[in-house]
Amino acid sequence: MAENLIEVRGVTRVYRRGGEELVVLDGLDLQMERGSFYALMGPSGSGKTTLLNMIGGLDRPDAGDLLVAGELLNVLSNAELARWRADNVGFVFQGFNLIPVLSAVQNVELPLLLAPLSRKERRERAEYALELVGLADRGDHRPKQLSGGQEQRVAIARAFVTDPTLILADEPTGDLDRASTEQVLELLAELNEKLDKTILMVTHDPHAAESAGYIVHLEKGKLGSIERNTPAPVGAEE
Amino acid sequence: MTGVPLSYNVRSLMVRRTSTLLTVIGIGATVAVLTGILSLRQGFAQLFEASGREDIAVFMRPGATSEGESAFPRDRVDILVKSTPEIDEGPDGRPLASAETFLAVRMRKLDGGETNIPIRGVQPATFVLRGDDLEIEGERPTPGSDEVLVGRALTTRVPGARVGEVIVLNTTPFRVVGILDHGGPFASEIWGDADRMMAALERPVFNRVIARMRPGTDMEALSKRLENDKQVPAIVTTEREYLSGQTAFLSNMLLGLGAILGMVMGVGAVFAGVNTMLASVAARTHEIGVLLSIGFRPLSIFLAFVRESLLLGFLGGVIGVLITIPLDGIRTGTTNFQTFTEIAFAFRVTPGILVTAILFAMLLGLVGGAWPAWRAARMDPTEAIRHV
Amino acid sequence: MPWRLVWRYLAAHPFRSLFTMMSMVAATFLLCLLQALLASLDVAVLNAAKNRLIVQSAVSLFVTLPHSYQGKIEAVDGVEDTCKWTWFGGYYQDPENFFAQFGADPGSLRRMYPEMEIIEGSYEEFERKRTGCVIGDLVAQRFSWEVGQTVPLIGTIYPRVDRKPWEYEICAIYTSNAATLDRNTMFFHHDYLDESIDSGSVETIKGVGVYAAAITPGVEPTRVMADIDALFENGPQVVQTTTEAEFNRQFVSMLGNVPALLSSIGASVLFAILLATLNTMIMAGRERTHHIGILKALGFGDGTVFGLLIAESMLVCALGGALGVFFATGIGKALEPFLISMFPGFAILPETQVFGLALAASVGLLAGILPAWQAMRLRPVDALRAEV
Repeated sequence: MAENLIEVRGVTRVYRRGGEELVVLDGLDLQMERGSFYALMGPSGSGKTTLLNMIGGLDRPDAGDLLVAGELLNVLSNAELARWRADNVGFVFQGFNLIPVLSAVQNVELPLLLAPLSRKERRERAEYALELVGLADRGDHRPKQLSGGQEQRVAIARAFVTDPTLILADEPTGDLDRASTEQVLELLAELNEKLDKTILMVTHDPHAAESAGYIVHLEKGKLGSIERNTPAPVGAEE
Repeated sequence: MTGVPLSYNVRSLMVRRTSTLLTVIGIGATVAVLTGILSLRQGFAQLFEASGREDIAVFMRPGATSEGESAFPRDRVDILVKSTPEIDEGPDGRPLASAETFLAVRMRKLDGGETNIPIRGVQPATFVLRGDDLEIEGERPTPGSDEVLVGRALTTRVPGARVGEVIVLNTTPFRVVGILDHGGPFASEIWGDADRMMAALERPVFNRVIARMRPGTDMEALSKRLENDKQVPAIVTTEREYLSGQTAFLSNMLLGLGAILGMVMGVGAVFAGVNTMLASVAARTHEIGVLLSIGFRPLSIFLAFVRESLLLGFLGGVIGVLITIPLDGIRTGTTNFQTFTEIAFAFRVTPGILVTAILFAMLLGLVGGAWPAWRAARMDPTEAIRHV
Repeated sequence: MPWRLVWRYLAAHPFRSLFTMMSMVAATFLLCLLQALLASLDVAVLNAAKNRLIVQSAVSLFVTLPHSYQGKIEAVDGVEDTCKWTWFGGYYQDPENFFAQFGADPGSLRRMYPEMEIIEGSYEEFERKRTGCVIGDLVAQRFSWEVGQTVPLIGTIYPRVDRKPWEYEICAIYTSNAATLDRNTMFFHHDYLDESIDSGSVETIKGVGVYAAAITPGVEPTRVMADIDALFENGPQVVQTTTEAEFNRQFVSMLGNVPALLSSIGASVLFAILLATLNTMIMAGRERTHHIGILKALGFGDGTVFGLLIAESMLVCALGGALGVFFATGIGKALEPFLISMFPGFAILPETQVFGLALAASVGLLAGILPAWQAMRLRPVDALRAEV
């Protein structure tokens, strides 16, 4: 019986653009358990990314409660939210979002600056994380000198280097070729299995969603369905 | 050769308006400082040089560099005038010459503090000599009386400078009977009867002699002759020359100050311009790629960016000029350290100064824009176009 | 605070950072020199000796006082010593080579001005020799004069009847560490001047420029000043006794609006540089928007994001400021001998250096605040959505 890591209760989010109101999330209720791998799917405009951002504490609901990793996010101040993100969440984005002026290992090290670690400890942990994603020899490269797949692996290393409970990935394979996609999915699955990370991945690619243990479908801001999925071994297809 | 249309530049400056505005105002401030100093110098020069007359000669004791240092005992003045036939005749058939006393006198300023006001004791011939250059509101002091004229510039600077009021020199009270207007330094002086001034100030000497010279007099030869005169050695210059000599120091100092400030501030403004243009070029990398690939030559791109920076400079120049123009006519004061007297003068903004300002601003723009423009022109079109 | 990021961002735009820094160098350099000039004006006032009074003519700086006054001043209760100071107004060979010379009483000069430090020759020799003089080390440097040399000076106020220059033998060279005694001055025997007038070598009236009076410690200066003024209330020359500070202040106030002018120039420089830096920082902030989103997503707080841009801005400015101060100190030192004749006490002091650095850092702070505040207020989702 796994406990719930994420509880979304009646969350509503409305965007206002030029007098028009767009309801992105409409009283959504959803629970997700600790240690599982969720794929979040749905047509565009169904509120996938908005939900992901809210669970990650980047955005706030207009109504409803968000209880993530034991914290009621909607009552936290900006500063508390930032602190909470640093302790609990790792983000992986579609566009990798590495800082171009820093080398790979420095990018991975960046979130560790927020932890009470010595310079040496930081460097060691960052190098270890890079090793886990198979880029130990690329530490000194700048993001521009890496391929897209490599960049995303650096970003994944950055996401788990702080040992967060939750890793949130927004279309992590959206900009990648087939081979890189497989590598990234494999890494996420490994993080889930070996390091017991809870993973929530927004994707529109059914193949990518196959890696997850649960596939959540959103429709027009409401929960469509949750399917239990037996993850196919990565790379089995074709 | 196809040129990039000017509207492209204008649009580009509009898009980056914060940056454009900050750069333009920065250039404007630089230009304003330079123009301000130049117009101060202009005002100063105009006050002295422009009002100095060619036909009036100034006689001083050899060695003296200004009238305050010069001195002629009374009897020598008569000898000097008699022994100089080059002096023109006045309406009464006598040599038209006037001996004057000059002293910087301590006075309280209306806004607090003390200042040195030039007091000039004149003979009636001074008024004949200067004629219409002087404009008197009120009366001319009666010869031999304790009456004075007060320069227009003093009316707002020292107490008692109004018709009917009294100004005390040493221990003698003088009644103000008129206000003196003059395009030159006399508007900052107090004028009274020479003999009465000498008595009041206990200084029984004249300081200089002024006279109208016969047309065609060779002043240099005259000066040389008088300098070696056994009885009354004297040096002679035209009034214009005398006044420009008095102001050379301050004028050169202002010019030097303007040049140094313009240069150092200009360097700062150029760097700001370079930054703006670099950002402008970087933001349009994609556009440049497009322009290059549809057939615009690198030279056209270069010229387009140079033109944009010239435009930036021009706008800065206009701002600078707009800041400076209201200064025109504002009076200010300092001490002429050649005579230790206070002189009031005004900023004078001339068309020449304004043109200089605009050209200087455009030069700043040009220098700041050349290198970013060159970088833009050298871009590889295929790479630039990929830059989104 | 991720300092590495600050450095990396600065290094990512080397030209922009460099140009911003260099415009800061230019501005700080100028501001330090202007500040030092302005500060030098007050040095002689602030450091004036408390125990010295100056008795001068109440009418004019150029009116001399009778010799008979000296004994009467010395008789006033509380006056310990007096020294004559009379402006000679001579030059060496050419009016351009002008410097200050005073006729003084050698004995009391030495007693009353302990800040005079003889570094070469002997003061006793000067006291003995009628035609001797002591010169400031800066005068000696300027004309390469040495002890034992006889120097000719042309008198503008006291021209010799024989038309020859005055000759003075240099007996000693002094220096001074106080602004109250100018190192650009020459002192000679007042008696020598008086005798020359008595003997007819010079045709002028004998007189004394000002009397300096030393008062007994503990005596109330205002009482002594009032007593001296009262002595000569009815002439022949009305006097005005002031403290040394007040006397020095007269000369500062003669500059009229010049200090205000210099200050407003400084303000313009500051304003222009602020705009330029602001421009750069707004650019930096704008292109950093996306990165700010990333940092916020990683859990960096608003404070860090704010500090990042502020630190970047202040770092560039402080570096530029430090270089500017460095140049100002070096060049100021080189200019000192030239400027010190016009601005005695001109020096780039530690205060000036701190002033320059503080201004530079403040500009950095001010220029950073707006973009940093904008960055801080960005919502992470919006920032992440911003174009790369």
